[in-house]
Amino acid sequence: MLKKSISIPREAIIGSISGALIGIFYATSRGTFLTPGVIQTMLTSAPELGIIALGVTLLMIAGEFDLSVGSCSALAALLAISCFQWGWSPYVALVLALGAGAVMGLVNGVISVKGGIPSFITTLGSMLAWRGLVYVVTMGRVINFNVEKQHPLFYTLLVGNVTVFPAHFFWFFGLMVLAFLFLNRHRFGNHIFATGGNKEAARAMGINVDMVKIACFILVGILAALAGVMRATRIRGFYAQQGDGMELMAIAAAVIGGTSLFGGAGTVIGTFFGTLVITFLEYGLIVSRVSGYWYRVILGSLVVLVVLVDRLWMVRRRS
Amino acid sequence: MKNQIPFVEVRKVHKWYGKVHAVKGVSFTINQGEIIGLIGDNGAGKSTLIKILAGYHRPDAGEIYIQGERVNIKSPAHARSLGIETVYQEQALVDLMSVTRNFFMGREITTRGGFLDFRKMDAECMNVIRTMGLSISSPKTLVKQLSGGEKQGVAIGRAMYFKAKLVLLDEPTRNLSVKEVQKVLDFIKNLKELGIATIFVSHNIYHVFDVSDRFLVMARGELIKDAQKETTTIEELISAITKH
Repeated sequence: MLKKSISIPREAIIGSISGALIGIFYATSRGTFLTPGVIQTMLTSAPELGIIALGVTLLMIAGEFDLSVGSCSALAALLAISCFQWGWSPYVALVLALGAGAVMGLVNGVISVKGGIPSFITTLGSMLAWRGLVYVVTMGRVINFNVEKQHPLFYTLLVGNVTVFPAHFFWFFGLMVLAFLFLNRHRFGNHIFATGGNKEAARAMGINVDMVKIACFILVGILAALAGVMRATRIRGFYAQQGDGMELMAIAAAVIGGTSLFGGAGTVIGTFFGTLVITFLEYGLIVSRVSGYWYRVILGSLVVLVVLVDRLWMVRRRS
Repeated sequence: MKNQIPFVEVRKVHKWYGKVHAVKGVSFTINQGEIIGLIGDNGAGKSTLIKILAGYHRPDAGEIYIQGERVNIKSPAHARSLGIETVYQEQALVDLMSVTRNFFMGREITTRGGFLDFRKMDAECMNVIRTMGLSISSPKTLVKQLSGGEKQGVAIGRAMYFKAKLVLLDEPTRNLSVKEVQKVLDFIKNLKELGIATIFVSHNIYHVFDVSDRFLVMARGELIKDAQKETTTIEELISAITKH
């Protein structure tokens, strides 16, 4: 017998949380929160986290983690900048960086899946190793990346201001739509859900779960690389700590948006809002003149709270 | 019927797990549309035998023939392409996915570019569900909202839809209510009507006895009895299991 249950989609809940935050910060900042300057700053800052979080969402649905995304984005960005400094076209540099991201994802994926090592451990290792390589190459120095002067079109296409929205917000939005289509409307998405939801069932139905997971790792690597190059292009330079801590923020965005830590459940739109919530918090506190030190305290509490509410909700619905 | 080539013939199949000889030279045949009750105590080798046919394990020795042709079943996907479909209670479906998504898992109906054709999939899936008399109202229902019997129904319906020739049911009645057991036994009879053979593995000989045409009894890796229903009784089967 089918149990009757009122189900409110997770996207609606997370959407209302973002809405509520806008209201709260509008009030506490006496209106400053919704001035064009602040909005534009937020739209500039959100996509780099969001693009990585999209990949992390797909990977988490497939039942795996990637802690190396921050380091991966830095190493890929460093490669792009180096290529550019050797006199190569920035477009070629970007493609090579994305390729490097794919290879880093492949390494994570193959070691985790074929080696039977929890991806938490594999990517903890690669997080340290790739960050270490960045330090080895840069010796901790800041590197300039003045691609804007020589290639204004590249800059504009990647991160320039197109109307009030920065270009990379369009990239984020476009990638979100693509990720949504692939996850929810494509055969591959069905295989991702099946792999993360019940690996044995997926395998029994002939789905190559190893390949699905490795493909998701590669995807995450490519997206992390893209975000890394965007960041370096936008701030016109590179520092060795770039992207540090991004891995946990990306997981936070996915989890706030309703992605399960156990695989098999999650939505791209939830992650989109999760990214917005994190960004609103960061800038809302600033314009409300709350000490920036509170940001992590509140974000951390929010992550736990959201998961807790979700759990209680599930328990109540089951009984 | 006697001269017909059996759908599956297993000849002297052995399987070792390290030093454990789990299946010891088992031979039997399965004809089209036949319901085989595979019974035996824990550790008798039933699951291993099923997993060999399902493509999870490779036999260490022996041969398997399907419709007279020797095959080397390499993977679950390969087994399915040969017409052998496995229905495990815990491993058949993904709880967090809808009925349709489960039904077509790994064999999705797609439009150009691999995009899912939900209209077609929902319609086909609901068609099977209605034929089987399941009371699932929407193909979008999450599987975790279904009862144990309904889950078995969806998995068996899936095997029917994809034209399986042999369905392997591993403990399909475990943890089900009496009413639901009856439903699952009816599903198995449906399979027979469609000419689909079934191997029904169970601890509960009373569930097996009612629907099966023939019984294979295993003990300590050996096949100790292969008997038509007419030639045996429940008491005889129980004593065969317990005496070994």
